[in-house]
Amino acid sequence: MPSDPQLRQSPLDDRHRALDATMTGFGGWDMPLDYGTVVAEHRAVREGCGVFDLSHLGTLRVTGPGAESTLQQALTNDVSKLVPGRAHYTLCLDGGGGITDDLLVYRLDWGFFVVPNAANASAVRAAIDACGDRAERDVADVKADLACLAIQGPDAADVVTAAGVDVSDMAYLDVGPLELASPDAEPGRSLDDGPVPGGGVLARSGYTGERGYELFCDAAVAGSLWDRVLAAGAAPAGLGARDTLRLEMGYPLHGQDISPATSPVDAPLGWAVKPGTGFTGEDAYVAAKEAGPQRRLRGLRVLGRGIPRARCTVRRDGSDVGETTSGTFSPTLRLGIALGYLDPAIQTGDRVEIDVRGKSLPAEVVRPPFVDRDPKA
Amino acid sequence: MNPPDLKYTEEHEWARADGARVTVGITTYAQDALGDVVYVDLPATGTRVESGQPFGEVESTKSVSDLYAPVSGTIVERNESLESSPELVNSDPYGEGWMVVIEVEDVSVLDGLLDAAAYERLVANA
Repeated sequence: MPSDPQLRQSPLDDRHRALDATMTGFGGWDMPLDYGTVVAEHRAVREGCGVFDLSHLGTLRVTGPGAESTLQQALTNDVSKLVPGRAHYTLCLDGGGGITDDLLVYRLDWGFFVVPNAANASAVRAAIDACGDRAERDVADVKADLACLAIQGPDAADVVTAAGVDVSDMAYLDVGPLELASPDAEPGRSLDDGPVPGGGVLARSGYTGERGYELFCDAAVAGSLWDRVLAAGAAPAGLGARDTLRLEMGYPLHGQDISPATSPVDAPLGWAVKPGTGFTGEDAYVAAKEAGPQRRLRGLRVLGRGIPRARCTVRRDGSDVGETTSGTFSPTLRLGIALGYLDPAIQTGDRVEIDVRGKSLPAEVVRPPFVDRDPKA
Repeated sequence: MNPPDLKYTEEHEWARADGARVTVGITTYAQDALGDVVYVDLPATGTRVESGQPFGEVESTKSVSDLYAPVSGTIVERNESLESSPELVNSDPYGEGWMVVIEVEDVSVLDGLLDAAAYERLVANA
């Protein structure tokens, strides 16, 4: 039984229950928060290999001769520069330049595979539908038929290979079809009959800071793939570890660090925004960029003990200079870390105080990542 | 699983009396609900604590919870090992994961706490 009957269940739900996972509602889905211990799952990803069920992520297939021009208008990065076999990070802005979502776009030989956050999947779908010439492209939500496994960590390539998927010669953000030699494929069924041409999508991507692969596969074969990945040595990891891992890298989480109320100028995510490409919200973005950041999303590393959480006031010399948007204990550093929007006058290296339930924690302003990891390595 | 010789609170602390010295920690149920304990904030020795009032905090990767004093008295000892090894609260909540020792004026106040059977009923209904 889901913890809430309104929540959608992952194709891997039975696997999570068999592992006695703590389940939680996330973006409308009933997903594993942890399998007992967030810290051990976090360490498995940093030191070996972990596997996440990301079947809650939105998955849109955008095809046809007008697919590129549609996405060029709907999203901020320059999709015309994206060649088949490659992926990039991009944003979906509203007309006022606020961030509707942050997402990855993968380009395959057959078209584009768009992966928004679960909670924003319908908003991104609506934004894409509003762009381009409907007669020239087709947008399909393939969520119902697709699962996603993210295999992350220094041993990820070995684990994925042992599970029967060839990832040799894949560089960071490379993408291709996932040709799964599945023992449970129906005879006579072509891979092109699946939710995406070729059967699935295989990418070297992730949100942990580690080398990793994201495998989007037909929901019908997800269970056996999960079993093979676990048998190959990956530790199951939940959303709790995903959050501590992404925060150690300083990666923003939509709904927390970025939202329709925040600008990519403040975030600062301007590197994924290419003015001149005609995207929705471009005028507002350019105006905000010319005005300069009103506040800056910065990293905060606690000096000493104590753990900041979201929505803690940040002060310098007794004056309010901002607020945290995410905060946690870093299992790698064994101290508190946070992201927060600060007065633009505050610089890297400055000392501030974070008000944690009335107690003042001294902290240093840093430029993330908090840990020395590189997913390209 | 909850030692029968201990007393318990409805806020999931345990208390073990040794004369006027009462050792305090949190229960197996509490540490399991919290998840990985990563930080324990305890008062300095000499601090006066009041029964039923918060005296410290225990934080996990997921959340933070107040620690409530099972009895009134004075903190005479704190578990310094939790500073470097807060995970002891998870691995050995009734042993190495103890938190403070409170010196009480009147040991009979412990009689007002739950015994193991009553605490187990409380947890079963939680």
